Amino acid sequence: MFFQQVSAWLHSLSPDVLSRALRIVLTLVIGLFLVRVLAVVVQRYIMRKSTPQRQMIARKAIGYSGFVLVLVAVLGELGVKLTALLGAAGIVGIAVGIASQTSVSNIIGGLFLISEKPFGIGDVIRTGTTTGIIQSIDLLSIKIRTFDNLFVRIPNEKIISSEVVNLTRFPIRRMDLLFQIAYGEDLSGVQDLLEHIARGNPWSLDEPNPVIVFNDFKENGIEVLFGLWFSQPDFVELKNSIMKDITTRFAAAGISFASPHRTIRIVEGSIS
Amino acid sequence: MDKTGTAVWDRIDISTKQCVAWRFPARSIWVERMENEWHVLSLSPEKWRGGVRREPVSRAQKPTSSQWRHYLHKQSGPVQPIPVLPDKPVVVRPDRALTLLPGQEALFFLEIPVWFRLCTTVPRHLRIFEEPIAILSKTWFGDPITGELCYGLATRLHQGIDSVEPTSFNAVCPLSIANDSDSDLAFEKICLHVENLNVFRAAKRLWANKLNVVFRGPDQATQIEIDRDAPRFEKGLSLFGPARQPSAGWNIRRTFGMLKSFTDF
Repeated sequence: MFFQQVSAWLHSLSPDVLSRALRIVLTLVIGLFLVRVLAVVVQRYIMRKSTPQRQMIARKAIGYSGFVLVLVAVLGELGVKLTALLGAAGIVGIAVGIASQTSVSNIIGGLFLISEKPFGIGDVIRTGTTTGIIQSIDLLSIKIRTFDNLFVRIPNEKIISSEVVNLTRFPIRRMDLLFQIAYGEDLSGVQDLLEHIARGNPWSLDEPNPVIVFNDFKENGIEVLFGLWFSQPDFVELKNSIMKDITTRFAAAGISFASPHRTIRIVEGSIS
Repeated sequence: MDKTGTAVWDRIDISTKQCVAWRFPARSIWVERMENEWHVLSLSPEKWRGGVRREPVSRAQKPTSSQWRHYLHKQSGPVQPIPVLPDKPVVVRPDRALTLLPGQEALFFLEIPVWFRLCTTVPRHLRIFEEPIAILSKTWFGDPITGELCYGLATRLHQGIDSVEPTSFNAVCPLSIANDSDSDLAFEKICLHVENLNVFRAAKRLWANKLNVVFRGPDQATQIEIDRDAPRFEKGLSLFGPARQPSAGWNIRRTFGMLKSFTDF
């Protein structure tokens, strides 16, 4: 019944309309297919050695431009006059632009991020309280996967106007540990022991040399800055092993960490 | 079997349910053949003082550990241990300050700890696993942005081969340096791309390719050539451990890399 109705409807159409409809369908199918193939070829073969970020930008640029071209071709088939459409689009564009200032701001921010390249896909960044791996840099926002596997979307406008720390830009980093040792400890002995701990740790680099600074006289003890250089992938191993090393070696050497304490003097006869 | 020379690197046929241990001063490796599998345990215990040896181990003596690794491989057959040089460049820090005066040449012998690689021989050479025999510290060579991650090695620059104690776990690398400049060449550290070097086997020690370095001054390119032939300081050397990244003689990129290294003293 349904097919008979469709068949009757098709027979009622003129050959010209049918041929135009066929051309539109073919334009859509072949055009979108070619755009897709071109994007894949460019990403996999031509830009094989480019960074993932550039590959993604190329793929999206080809995708969006191709879609616009196919759309223009389809509209041409439908007999829509592009000059009139572009004129109307200009007026509509102003209205949409006023109504979507934030989105435009995000798009401009995205262009800045792409051109300035403060980070790329796969980099680990920290912004505000969020730390994670960049999954994608899009026109409106960046997407991050945090280390506890949360998906975070941050608008480009916000990224552009806030401080972003790229933790993986350089191949080596320094891990700074701050702790306090009790007053009265032998500082030279502490320095020797820390140097020994750094030398014995397989994740700590020999060079650049570790930094040992007796930083400040604090309320309960002397603050020590112990900075160890390491290769990016060794962060967790170094952090865990060095904390264990410091604790056990200090205990073995009889060096005490500072703990909050108060000295109370009772003057004889002052208590009734 | 006590292996005083390099016989510890001999090919060995390990039958099913048999376990063999290789003992080095800083690492012990147990390999057991099971049906369709190789079981491997590599431990870096306190210094082994029983000498370098390869010995059969009974099932009762086999260490119990959760660190045994299993490698699936159907074909049984002999296995070949192969000494290979480390997978990263090695920054050698001589134990004493040395300065090569202008126009002078010197020949040094460096000891570089090798890695233990175990390969199947049937039906073809297939790497089962590899481990460093001695754990070297990590270090950074160059500036923090463009430098490279290396292993650090504090060692003596021997000026004669007689003072180098023969071992089967260090490869001796002859290093010839000519100071073809008007300035002194002070040695504080030398970065060697050991991943380009082969390991050769002699009766009592292992050797690496000889390196020839010509220093032309802090502002000039330093030339580094890897001698393709086996070192001529001992007879009967044969190529045993292939280079990880074979280098075709003069390597411009690495030469310039070394220029920075040498001018960085």
